[in-house]
Amino acid sequence: MARVEFQSPENTRHADKQSSRISNVETMESLLSPRFRSAAEMAGWDEETLFLASMIIEDTPERECKHKRRASQQFKTPPASSRRKRRVQQQNPSPIPVGAICLDEEENEDANGKKKKNIEAAVTEDKKKEGGEGSLHVESGVSSSAPVLPCMDRLREELSCAICLEICFEPSTTTCGHSFCKKCLKSAADKCGKRCPKCRQLISNGRSCTVNTVLWNTIQLLFPDEVEARKIAVKHMREAKQKSPKECGYSTRNVAFDSAITGGNISRRARWESSQEEDAAMGRRRNSSWRRTRGGPSQEEDAALALRLQREEFMDAFGRVHDDEPVISLYSARSNLRAMASRARDLRLRGR
Amino acid sequence: MSAMNCPMSSSIGGVRSWPSTTSGSAWGKRIQKEIAEFNIDPPHDCSAGPKGDNLYHWVSTIIGPPGSPYQGGIFFLDITFPPDYPFKPPKVLFKTRIYHCNVDSNGNVSLDILKDGWSPALTVSTVLLAIRSLFTNPDPYNPRVPSIAHLYLSDRVKHDEVATEWTMRFAR
Repeated sequence: MARVEFQSPENTRHADKQSSRISNVETMESLLSPRFRSAAEMAGWDEETLFLASMIIEDTPERECKHKRRASQQFKTPPASSRRKRRVQQQNPSPIPVGAICLDEEENEDANGKKKKNIEAAVTEDKKKEGGEGSLHVESGVSSSAPVLPCMDRLREELSCAICLEICFEPSTTTCGHSFCKKCLKSAADKCGKRCPKCRQLISNGRSCTVNTVLWNTIQLLFPDEVEARKIAVKHMREAKQKSPKECGYSTRNVAFDSAITGGNISRRARWESSQEEDAAMGRRRNSSWRRTRGGPSQEEDAALALRLQREEFMDAFGRVHDDEPVISLYSARSNLRAMASRARDLRLRGR
Repeated sequence: MSAMNCPMSSSIGGVRSWPSTTSGSAWGKRIQKEIAEFNIDPPHDCSAGPKGDNLYHWVSTIIGPPGSPYQGGIFFLDITFPPDYPFKPPKVLFKTRIYHCNVDSNGNVSLDILKDGWSPALTVSTVLLAIRSLFTNPDPYNPRVPSIAHLYLSDRVKHDEVATEWTMRFAR
């Protein structure tokens, strides 16, 4: 008798699984809006790639642990009976030992605290003893933004442009072997004659100022902060100087598109109030305008568009359902999607 | 010119201040850089720095090198930077009177690198070094004052005597 009782929840769960699978397929239908579907169709995606893509997008590694923590709470097939509930709890004994471990750790921590500190102190002392070399290794390991080398000052001197006295920005090398910022060299050629500022040899042609790629990459690796500051300065200069319509062609279209997307995300709440039809119409318009502006959209661009739209779609869908707790709803959405994807794969495998 | 008021602060927060300087040149920061570099490693027996708030107007001194008739003299110079510096040379003017075939009574210097021989890779410190080398090695073949050049070539001892006398009188 006990055996029968034991069996029955298993059966019900199995049935549950299948029913939930079906229902999940249905929810998937409702999850993906016609707007996204059309974009996906443009990219020539089938169902499975959609799921896979969704998993790729949502599976950011830093959130994974949070998801796992919440998955047990959020993603459950509807309970069949109270007994089953109890069984699930029994089957999942992990919380209790974890708590015990935690307690142990806390207890041990006090005892180990001094030891740990001692070890740490010893380590730091060792580092100090190692002197310049050791600390250099540590620093270069820790700070990825600016590598620290013993000859940094000399490198800075060597890689500086003699004209602006800063780190060469997009260095251009003359035929005589001297390097300057591309812009500095051009200006020098224009204003001071076509001779090398360093050695006065004739520069073959002022127009053929090309960036020395190896040198430029090296500089970018060695002095990322300076290069970044200079880039920002150059950008500001350009923005202040010119807003030529020529430049607007490609970039502003993208910017407008991006802003439409982000704007959509920000003003999500406002958009919910507008009717679904309007939303869909807007999507259609956007898609068509995208079509129009780009003569022949490539596969990749369409795929990117689909991804963006999908992300927006999820934000909308789950933000709407659980308005008061959007973060949790996102997690549940993700777990649902993952489940749907795995089931779709299962179905497909079984179909074969 | 507000950004040029204090070289100290502008060297600290220089990134933000320099694009706002006038004329919109990307080389506005170069003079600030030169000040910093000059202070770190000044040429021997030379000093230089902005006169006041204006970074484009410097005062410099050169101490007469030993072994020359200008030994022991302190010579003041005015250095003015053109707006398109470093693509045009700075203007250097002797404020202290000097008996030298390459410096006229108004203090103008005849030096190749301050005219056609200028290169944007040159700095104040290289210019000062070049002027200092003129003290020990005048160039009588490109004179500013031909009479002094003539005396230098014909009667070096007399020339040096006069030069020493001028140094004692004006440069002490």
